[in-house]
Amino acid sequence: MIVSFKVNGRQVDLDIDPRKRLLDVLHDDLQLISVKEGCGEGECGACTVLFDGQNVNSCLVPAFQADGHEIVTLEGLKKWPGFSTIERAYLEHGAVQCAYCLSGFVVSTVAYLKNQTEQTVNEDQVKYALAGNLCRCTGYTKIVEAVKDLAEHEKLKELFAEDWPYER
Amino acid sequence: MKPNPKDFRVDALSKLRGEARYIRDERILGLWHGLTVRSPHPRARIISIDFDDAFKWQNVTVVTAQDVPNNYVAMIEKDMPVLAEKIVNYVGEPVALIAAPSPELAMEAREHLHVQYKPLPFIDDPLQAEQSDIKLYGSNNVFKEIRIERGDLDEAEKTADKVVELEVRTGFQEHVYLEPQGMIAIPENDRIVVKGSLQCPYYVKNALNEIFKGLRDITVVHATTGGAFGGKEDFPSLLAAHAALLAYKSGHPVAIFYDRREDIQFTTKRHPSVSKNKVYVDAEGKLVGLDIEFYLDSGAYVTLSPVVLARAALTISGCYYIPNVRIVAKAVATNTVPSGAFRGFGGPQAIFTMEMIMEELAQKLKMDAHRVREINLIDEGQTTATGQVLKYSVSNKQTFYDVLERSNYQQKLNKYRQWNEPILERLKQGRYPKRHPDDVLKGIGLSVFLHGAGFTGGGENRIKGKLRIEINDNGQPVIYSAQTEMGQGQQTAFRKILADALAVDIEQILLADVNTDLVPNSGPTVASRSTMVVGSLITDIGREMIKKFLEELKQEYGFPFEYRTGYFYGGDMVLPFRQVAQKHAGLIFEKEYRHPPFIKFDEQNWKGDAYPVYSWAAAVAETEVDPITFNIKVTRYYTTHEIGKAINYDQSIAQIQGGSLQGIGYAIYEKLERQNGHLNVHGFVDYIIPTTVDMPFMDIKILENPYPFGPFGAKGLGELPLVGAAPAVVSSLRMIFSLPINKIPVMPEDLFELAQILRKNGGQP
Repeated sequence: MIVSFKVNGRQVDLDIDPRKRLLDVLHDDLQLISVKEGCGEGECGACTVLFDGQNVNSCLVPAFQADGHEIVTLEGLKKWPGFSTIERAYLEHGAVQCAYCLSGFVVSTVAYLKNQTEQTVNEDQVKYALAGNLCRCTGYTKIVEAVKDLAEHEKLKELFAEDWPYER
Repeated sequence: MKPNPKDFRVDALSKLRGEARYIRDERILGLWHGLTVRSPHPRARIISIDFDDAFKWQNVTVVTAQDVPNNYVAMIEKDMPVLAEKIVNYVGEPVALIAAPSPELAMEAREHLHVQYKPLPFIDDPLQAEQSDIKLYGSNNVFKEIRIERGDLDEAEKTADKVVELEVRTGFQEHVYLEPQGMIAIPENDRIVVKGSLQCPYYVKNALNEIFKGLRDITVVHATTGGAFGGKEDFPSLLAAHAALLAYKSGHPVAIFYDRREDIQFTTKRHPSVSKNKVYVDAEGKLVGLDIEFYLDSGAYVTLSPVVLARAALTISGCYYIPNVRIVAKAVATNTVPSGAFRGFGGPQAIFTMEMIMEELAQKLKMDAHRVREINLIDEGQTTATGQVLKYSVSNKQTFYDVLERSNYQQKLNKYRQWNEPILERLKQGRYPKRHPDDVLKGIGLSVFLHGAGFTGGGENRIKGKLRIEINDNGQPVIYSAQTEMGQGQQTAFRKILADALAVDIEQILLADVNTDLVPNSGPTVASRSTMVVGSLITDIGREMIKKFLEELKQEYGFPFEYRTGYFYGGDMVLPFRQVAQKHAGLIFEKEYRHPPFIKFDEQNWKGDAYPVYSWAAAVAETEVDPITFNIKVTRYYTTHEIGKAINYDQSIAQIQGGSLQGIGYAIYEKLERQNGHLNVHGFVDYIIPTTVDMPFMDIKILENPYPFGPFGAKGLGELPLVGAAPAVVSSLRMIFSLPINKIPVMPEDLFELAQILRKNGGQP
């Protein structure tokens, strides 16, 4: 079946097997290798992508459901000027280890930062925002610290408002 | 060593940008997909393997035991077949392999392949294994027995004031690295190239060399590995053999990628343990004797169980001085997926056992849990159960006192006891336990632990790890080692060790790709050995390099040079390292590891220096238990680790954070049981690991007490954090209920049962 959607700002029209998951289409067909399969049942978050601006597990989304929608993966986030700030926070906080989970964490981080409206940063909120992403290496402390720092970053808020390259 | 705590990881940026290629990200033209046909029975005879005619078999490749040139996986023994031939010994044991141009076709073929079995009786209790009529291994199903004896237990019995007995149990634990196992095999003319997610390329190469002896050469290439924790130490030899056999027979490159369910059910686990313990103490609570019978449930095949058992037996007397000891440890066979390597490697089971002995003592002697530990702590100059004299880098008391002080242990202990009293009283009386929503039970507990760095006993002298460093055309030293990056930070540590040994920037040091055609066998990436053992070869070669260049410069210029902070000074010349090195492009330095000669171990009698040195740690855990749901939450976790020298301070902290949370998971979240020979988990849905919401506040401190033979004084770190986390958490739960809890994992339902005991007996067990 023919499915048309936007991936990282680019319109794609694909003839796909209707049984395929969005994860398979992104990773295998479009070679967006940041989208990882860790469990295939929506528990680990390694395959997290933005679906109309919300973080979802792409292993739980049948690919045809993306028809008419906008998908952003880590590859797409790299085109946004704010990405270097996020990258720098993860780097400086030493939040990277095996990193199989990492692109999922970064996508969930962006979803949280982009959608959060609170004035003050609450650690519990950060933790809940990332609770759908499992990591077995880091013990999460450094990741949560990195995201807390980012949540206080004034310039990022501007970049979301003014330089976000995607529709949602 | 440069004091720069923020040495960023050399692999961080490619990973943050999603550019690192893991094995599933490889693009290989004409790649076929392999799958495994597995036994549904814990033990059965294979009657037949039938291919039904409804399928076109010429489109796929099938491999059975008949196709395997030498049908065993060479590890410590050769008992485990690559594919079962006549008998299957665990649920999930591989019986046949199928490869096809697409995963769908392979799965379709699977439906048309019929294996007939005759189920046989099986062993599913490690304590029944020795007496069982079913023989899985030798005459009594014991893969390995170790006896460590010291002093005289009869003497201990005579002088003891009190004897305490208890049984301790630990459960399975699954690694759940986020990247499931995966391997690709590519057939070339007279060679098979295997690339995958793995820890020990030479283990895989050796195993495949035996299977394909005289038929094919083997090259093993390490792909970016998404976590391992020991799970990719032994198991990849089996998986690589499967992929290689399919590639060999089909002539196509073949990938086998496990999904989470297959990975969690059919790959190795941490050995469950059961122990019967008897401990003798004098009137003050000092240990005078310890008598332990310790069992590891090793599953159906030997794999690494003898060495896991050795580490457990050598660790079990823990951080305490005990004059009279008898440890009888056995690794026994059951019809279960083989247990294997897992971070800590027998240490977590052993330390949990010993720490629960101390907890039980405290309760029986009516002493505080920290006090009974304090008076028994081993110190420099004292001897361990094997008679090893602890001579250097001993920080047992330092870590203990540091963590108690930093956590404000004593004050909180008193405060929480008081706080809990009315809530416990209401539980005892069967009344509604909460007066206020904040009425949760508060626990505080501790543990003291250690980990021997490097291989057990004479292991390092047998392996003789070799390292090579070459100067490339740009004058940059390139490190050739078989050590693998799996997330722990090995690449950063190695480059930093050589950079600091040469006093140059880390960017000037390069690492060769890990490919067995290129790198020497520097030994496996296990046992917290990479930094200490292979790292010491790096500093040794660094010194040799400088010496060599100084000699060459003197010969060239006729006057002596001196090397300081990255420059060669001589006469009025100042030459940077790289400029000098460039003149020697192509120069090769090689070195083989040997323990310092005074380290001696007798493996027959289990006497002597079990490890060259130990890393030391202590932890304090604070927990909250809801008195209605009995939900357990670890709220704060303090730990002090003494690791000789932190090569990368920031990443050392990261290791401790991650390892500690894995240990907390081992204590209260991760439950995996065997039911009728089947493991009862399927994935993250029913095997629960901690999430961001479950993480405690962590307060970590690193102490440094240099080991004279490690690089810059470094000892091992990777495993230690996991080893002692579970007993600290359980200690805090015992503090709340003042009742025995001698098994992990501890679940809310277990605490509910304790509350029932409180209610029925007014607190008496």
